[in-house]
Amino acid sequence: MLRGDWGRDPLLPRPISLLSVAPDGRADLLARGVGRGTRLLEAAQPGDRVAVLGPLGSSFPDPEPETIDLLVAGGVGLPPLFMQAEHAAKRGLIDRCELIYGGRSARDLVLLAEMRALGVNLHLATEDGSVGRRGRVTLSLEARLDHHLSSARFSRLRIMACGPQGMLWAVARIAEAVNRECYLSLEAHMACGIGVCLGCATPVHDSRPYRYACCDGPVFLASTLVIPPTSDPPPRSAG
Amino acid sequence: MSAPGFESPGQARLAVRCGGIDFKNPVLTASGTFGYGKEFDSLMALPALGGMVTKGISPKPRFGNPAPRICETAAGMLNSIGLENVGVEGFASSKLPFLRACGTKVLVNFFGTTFDEYVSCGEQLSQLDGVDGLEMNVSCPNIKAGGIEFGREARVLGDLVRACRAVTRKPLWVKLTPNTSDIVALARACAENGADAVSVINTITGMAIDAQTRKPRLATVLGGLSGPAIKPIALRMVYQIHRSGLGIPISGIGGIQTGLDAVEFLLAGASTVQVGTQNFIDPASAERIGREIDDYCRQHSVSDVSELIGALELPP
Repeated sequence: MLRGDWGRDPLLPRPISLLSVAPDGRADLLARGVGRGTRLLEAAQPGDRVAVLGPLGSSFPDPEPETIDLLVAGGVGLPPLFMQAEHAAKRGLIDRCELIYGGRSARDLVLLAEMRALGVNLHLATEDGSVGRRGRVTLSLEARLDHHLSSARFSRLRIMACGPQGMLWAVARIAEAVNRECYLSLEAHMACGIGVCLGCATPVHDSRPYRYACCDGPVFLASTLVIPPTSDPPPRSAG
Repeated sequence: MSAPGFESPGQARLAVRCGGIDFKNPVLTASGTFGYGKEFDSLMALPALGGMVTKGISPKPRFGNPAPRICETAAGMLNSIGLENVGVEGFASSKLPFLRACGTKVLVNFFGTTFDEYVSCGEQLSQLDGVDGLEMNVSCPNIKAGGIEFGREARVLGDLVRACRAVTRKPLWVKLTPNTSDIVALARACAENGADAVSVINTITGMAIDAQTRKPRLATVLGGLSGPAIKPIALRMVYQIHRSGLGIPISGIGGIQTGLDAVEFLLAGASTVQVGTQNFIDPASAERIGREIDDYCRQHSVSDVSELIGALELPP
């Protein structure tokens, strides 16, 4: 949870994912200035004070030598997947994961040089076709799943995703269709980040109806979540 | 430097008595913003608090409302959590053992959805060792009366307080709803029926709309407004109850972010204050607010914080 010295309005701290943490503890964040809080962060100057409570919540499972991890990032949902790729690289397992990264247009895709420097197998997608494959990131995910279908490791393929909610639900449905383990990092309205305000209730299949994105998540096994039935139009064709 | 409430020469006495309970300082944390205390254990020194008020407890566990449950507004927030809680049994078995040893006074907020549920919940909680007092949440909708809050009508409120008073010997506080045209009448109903204190105020009913989607921002449409936006209203209500001469002690709540905010509530007539929404913004703020009250007392040569209670100087 992160908040600048910006008075009483906006009031609440912002839940923001870590992008990268250096050995000296210095952290990088990635945020897009869409709301008032993120626009204030965007305008922050070196030396400005920011209050931070964290790191909080769960993370994606560790990379493993025997798995294939398809990391799916939509727009500003990149940070936890970038960090996962960095984590894999540090453990010498970067060849065990692929990063599938999509946005509306080329200008939405950032840190491409940094990702290439990690050595991650990178697949880009844009809805306008300005870079990478034309179409939603889920189309690229399906293409990569087709590619791996005949692999001996397919049974140990995992999908990890972060991005807009509609994209996450689509990723979860794809994962379910191919019966692969899938982890989603969710975004939710929250005030505290520590399981107290109970604002970030997330419907789950369990003995109790909700879990909390702040302290039980933000990363959830997709099969535990109540995924709403699709109301999206069919994905546009790659052509 | 010593913790607030620890007396040493040259320091103000911060201890106060409010609603039948002795507190080491006037800063409590408000129900629904401090979980069951343990969530804050690693983030602040709980013994530095005057006291804490737990999440509202009902006879049976409740799972709460669908999302979105919260929404930020100008200098405030709306919530519609739905009184989610672990229930009396869950509270006694999984939350109370920690609270008994936490080093501060513990009030348990409670409610029911019927008259009988209030009474049975109050009775069960009052038998638990480690509970220093009870705070009735009367902002719950009365299902049998068309969903109107129990605490909105003085006559209904008075009956409810009297019934709960009859089943507990523990200090009984009542958290008043501000959604009324006459806050003093509600405080009077509490005072006349044996309540030991009133907590003033609970959230103010409000709503927020997303013009782009034409939809309400909360799943339940209406929610409770809290945060600095409501402080002037809370101060006004504390002041009116204090000025009415009922003599019932008041715990002031509403947008307290700093020691000076807390002092304003004391001056208006509160004996203790409760820090609410600010716990979300800075989890250690209640501890800081205690220190800032101490600083204020020293700067203003106040030797005992009780001197501030109701010490507002009105224009001639």
